[in-house]
Amino acid sequence: MAKQTRSKRAGTCKQATSLITDYLTGTLDPEITNELEHHLGVCPDCVAFLKTYKKTIQVTQSLLLSGNLPELERSKQKALHKSIGSHNERG
Amino acid sequence: MVEAKSVEARSNRQYFTSYEETGELRSSAGESSRERSLVERLKAGDTDAFDAIFHQNVNQVYRRALRLLGNEADAEDVVQEVFLTVHKKAKTFRGAAEFSTWLYRLTVNAALGKLRRQKRSKEVLYDDYLPKFQKDGHHLVRPVVDWSDKVDDRSDQRELQRLLGQALEQLKPMDKAVVVLSDLEGYLDREIGKTLGLSVAAVKTRLHRSRLFLRGKLAVHLGYSPA
Ligand SMILES: [Zn+2]
Repeated sequence: MAKQTRSKRAGTCKQATSLITDYLTGTLDPEITNELEHHLGVCPDCVAFLKTYKKTIQVTQSLLLSGNLPELERSKQKALHKSIGSHNERG
Repeated sequence: MVEAKSVEARSNRQYFTSYEETGELRSSAGESSRERSLVERLKAGDTDAFDAIFHQNVNQVYRRALRLLGNEADAEDVVQEVFLTVHKKAKTFRGAAEFSTWLYRLTVNAALGKLRRQKRSKEVLYDDYLPKFQKDGHHLVRPVVDWSDKVDDRSDQRELQRLLGQALEQLKPMDKAVVVLSDLEGYLDREIGKTLGLSVAAVKTRLHRSRLFLRGKLAVHLGYSPA
């Protein structure tokens, strides 16, 4: 873990961890980005944390995209389409 | 138009990019004039236009609902609910947002309503899987182990996927919606907030906590501390 850095916003592991989301999307203020990167430069714990956080996002995405989602069967499309029509005739 | 997050900002997200390339996310060029004229005809009560819009969009609505809900019957209900609303409310659709955006919001909100009514397996406390810190701000458990390579190496990928799938189901409905819309569909926090009725700060907080929870679940599964 790093010695306490000069930073106030990304100086501790707790602060650094809270900034990860914005850091990864590139929406962090440049000055805070510098502070965070300074912290990462001296803190292997936060580097490991960041890597596992990124890996989690990647695995989540691959899970959500795995097993190609099916199309709605034609017969069900027809049935739904028909039911919407009849709903509206009634309504 | 719903904006997708820039590919640059998401360069670490290979799946997002490849998904986008399949064309299932709308192109950034906006709606074509053909689509606009269809929507105009729909608003005027043209049933052929409704049929065309139904067939053009039914699978996208279905898949989006399926991804959020995880079961086909509920996703079919969402399709019905969404297109009923389109049919009934098309006249009041003012085009302040593009039609595709309207459809997307209808779908997400219908799915979210279902998600909230679904019985979830017993409530899981996020806190057990979130990182902990010492008073001075250091990680509580040190060293923090980088287990990211272990995920790819493991032979039991299926088990890992099953575990993560289960963890996703354990998220609060709103959190799951935020994760799917952000990490999978690539929407901006601002757009997700508008759709779900959350502030941008709330979207960020939910996304971050959910990812920390999922990370913690993976860590524990691999034999490490979530801290
Ligand atoms: Zn640190």
